[in-house]
Amino acid sequence: MSSGTIFYITTLIVYGGVDVVACLGLSLQFGTAGITNFGFIIYQAAGAYTAAVLSMPRDTANGGFQSYVLGLHLPFPIPWIGAAVAGGLLAVPAGLVVRRSLRPDFAGVSMLVTAVVLNTVVDNFVPLFNGAAGIALVPSPLSNVFNPQSLKWQWMYSGIAIFVCVLVFLGLRLITESPYGRSLRAMREDETAAKAIGKNTDGLRITILVVGGAIAGLSGGILVGFINLWAPSAWTYPETIVLIAALIVGGRGNNFGAILGALLVPLGFLEATRFIPPFGPPGLVPALEWIVTGTLILVFLWFRPQGVVPERRRRLSKRLPAAAGPSAPGSGVVGVSRGQ
Amino acid sequence: MASEGRAAGGSGAADRVGTDDQIVLETSDLRRTYQGIHAVDGVSVRLTRGRLTGLIGPNGAGKSTLLGMLAGTIAPSSGSIRYDGHEITSIPTYRRARSGLVRTFQLSSEFKRLTVLENLLSAVQGDPGDSLAGAIFRRPQWRRFEKEQLARAWRLLEQTRLTAHADSYAGDLSGGQRRLVEIMRALMAGPRLLLLDEPMAGVHPRLAIEIGEHLLRLRDEGVSILMVEHELSIVDQLCDPVVVMAEGRVLSQGTMAALRQETAVVEAYLVG
Amino acid sequence: MAIYIASFGFGLVTASVLAISAIGFTMQFGITDVLNLSFGGVMITSAYIAYVVNSAGINIWIGLVAAGFAGAIISYLINRFVLTPFKRRNTSLVGMVIVTLALGLILENLVLAVAGPDNVSYTLNNGPTLSIGAFELTALQVGMIVLSLVLAGAIHALLTLTRLGKAMRATACNPGLARASGIRTERVISTTWLVTGALCGISGATFAINSASFGPTSADLFLVVIIAAVFVGGVGQPYGAMLGAVLLGIVTEVSAAIITPDYKEVIAFIILLVVMAVRPQGLIARARA
Repeated sequence: MSSGTIFYITTLIVYGGVDVVACLGLSLQFGTAGITNFGFIIYQAAGAYTAAVLSMPRDTANGGFQSYVLGLHLPFPIPWIGAAVAGGLLAVPAGLVVRRSLRPDFAGVSMLVTAVVLNTVVDNFVPLFNGAAGIALVPSPLSNVFNPQSLKWQWMYSGIAIFVCVLVFLGLRLITESPYGRSLRAMREDETAAKAIGKNTDGLRITILVVGGAIAGLSGGILVGFINLWAPSAWTYPETIVLIAALIVGGRGNNFGAILGALLVPLGFLEATRFIPPFGPPGLVPALEWIVTGTLILVFLWFRPQGVVPERRRRLSKRLPAAAGPSAPGSGVVGVSRGQ
Repeated sequence: MASEGRAAGGSGAADRVGTDDQIVLETSDLRRTYQGIHAVDGVSVRLTRGRLTGLIGPNGAGKSTLLGMLAGTIAPSSGSIRYDGHEITSIPTYRRARSGLVRTFQLSSEFKRLTVLENLLSAVQGDPGDSLAGAIFRRPQWRRFEKEQLARAWRLLEQTRLTAHADSYAGDLSGGQRRLVEIMRALMAGPRLLLLDEPMAGVHPRLAIEIGEHLLRLRDEGVSILMVEHELSIVDQLCDPVVVMAEGRVLSQGTMAALRQETAVVEAYLVG
Repeated sequence: MAIYIASFGFGLVTASVLAISAIGFTMQFGITDVLNLSFGGVMITSAYIAYVVNSAGINIWIGLVAAGFAGAIISYLINRFVLTPFKRRNTSLVGMVIVTLALGLILENLVLAVAGPDNVSYTLNNGPTLSIGAFELTALQVGMIVLSLVLAGAIHALLTLTRLGKAMRATACNPGLARASGIRTERVISTTWLVTGALCGISGATFAINSASFGPTSADLFLVVIIAAVFVGGVGQPYGAMLGAVLLGIVTEVSAAIITPDYKEVIAFIILLVVMAVRPQGLIARARA
């Protein structure tokens, strides 16, 4: 395998890993708990920026000058932890704004508007994160172990990305398949009824916004360590729509569906367009990508809203203790139910 | 239906101060006004423990609004509510539910894309897996706990003959079955006071009789019930006492037979 | 001080653009119960249609008419072929928002694909600068203010004086009852989308006139201000939208003079958040049966 091919494969793995982690976070919020976080991308951005300014030294000679806050030059994995924390913290004010009495579409739109405005603010307020130009020369993690230009580093980073994916997936699985996950889904189905059986839905909502935000932040940290730069153009509001499309296509409420969606939509698109030679005026191909994304959403919402991998039915009767249950002696009610 | 004891400790019985132990819930001049309309116009009732109390009245009498305030879904404009001797007027719905004040809804509100068993289990109180930390770190404990609760749920399903639908999505069931699921779910929460909002609405008469029998059995086991109902024949069979509301106020209360003799009550229904 | 007066004047101009779009947006919500996030996309598409007309050397006011037609047709098609079918399928409120988001994305990028990413601008004849009281505005700007007053008045007349307008109000208030009373609600809804679509298109063109230059995504940020104006005034209330537009138009422009113009939308956004948190039904709450 040529080194060019290896670089390509490892790049795919890292981008895929980032997309999978982000989609898993959104799936927890949107698919499982029914929270409409249309501003999701800002949590990934918060993580990326935080990881950047934690790992960068105070001054970076960029041929010119970049202004940014912090610059603590901390080693891996602290910037990534910071990224997750930043994503989680950013969710706290969001949770306070999205009050229970707000219609879900109003709440979703407020989050979307938040994302648009935050992007504008960061774009304009240069001292924070260098404004529209963005931050460059972000150090690659673990550059002391392997030379970041080397194939060994690429493999290592891909391995780390996969490791984080698996960790997040397993952690999320624990959550969604537990009674807590069931409470989240109950809230999704009917929040008023959930409250009537004792669920503190406000608390659930904030918690899941924070957890999902932290996961998104982590994905941002992974990404920025790989591409070594980050700018407002990377996290405009349509980026959330891409992730939503991924969930709609792959399957909402199903962790495997989230993974599939992440690989098909954000990663799949990226790679599909790589093989199409750029044609037409500049910007045509990305525009077509967006058009296809929007069309995919409409097509799937119409023909297959549950996605490719729909939410699994949890057959709890299988977990009944043998003494009580369909196969229990003397229960005698197999298959008999009054049809009403 | 058997209502088994609640899985975790209940509210502190020790701090019930000087109240009549026979009264499970009382309201004091409860009011709710919407843009000048007095939906509930000064209601003071006392519900006796261990009784199946009916709440009747013509349309617009304020029954659902009253129920909403008792459950915590509607905030009173003024007045107070005491449950088990505690002041609960500003306590949110979910905390009332956790102390045993559970309500059902007029429009069947089962969790549609959860299975019947999941619906039932979701209402269980004190599940060690029902928190973020619990879900991640206490898996063996909640698995064990869930097995016990599943057995409990299964017994309920046996009593209502819905075991074949244990793993069906609740939203796929018939109207009467969904109603049963909602009631069973409320029972899994171990209620001490059950607020039922027209539980027989749109239900097949035979099933209504069954539900009625289950409710009577519940009452005999010590669960207090307040039931809003339109079908007077059902109220006749099941409820004692009965509270009549009209135009936001309590008109009278007593047994159905006694109420039928009161001209004011009869007129309220005719004039409406 | 002169700056503040001048910015107040600009505020009126912005308010006039805002008013037309906010009325359209809020009426679409009122009759369909959907926050139509493709509104910005329709605006900018219509603005580009006007641009095509304008670059052929035609007066921009004709371009405005063309924009109005474009907006009307596109909005009508969106409602008829996308929103109504999804609604009939009982798609959730959130699902409908996602649908409109996708539509907006498609529209903007169609424009991008066809017209390219560079910003364009109209060839305008600003006309003489007029001094009205303490304000100094160009004739064109005054024209836009007058236009919005005329359109607002027309909508007012439509809603209060015509049978169609009364049918619109009835359908928005209680569609089931309206239908039962014999109102052809589907026709009313389609007509509403035609009318509001025209407003959308015209506001897109006036927005573009009011901007030094514009590109396919220029309306995204403006949609934030529109939504803020709509919510401040009371979502679904046309008169509320007018009120909200004036308030927000002036506040954003004056604050732009005090702080920098880059953060105009941030002010609108903060106002929106406060309204959502404190009084989501807006200043003029509506009683929906």
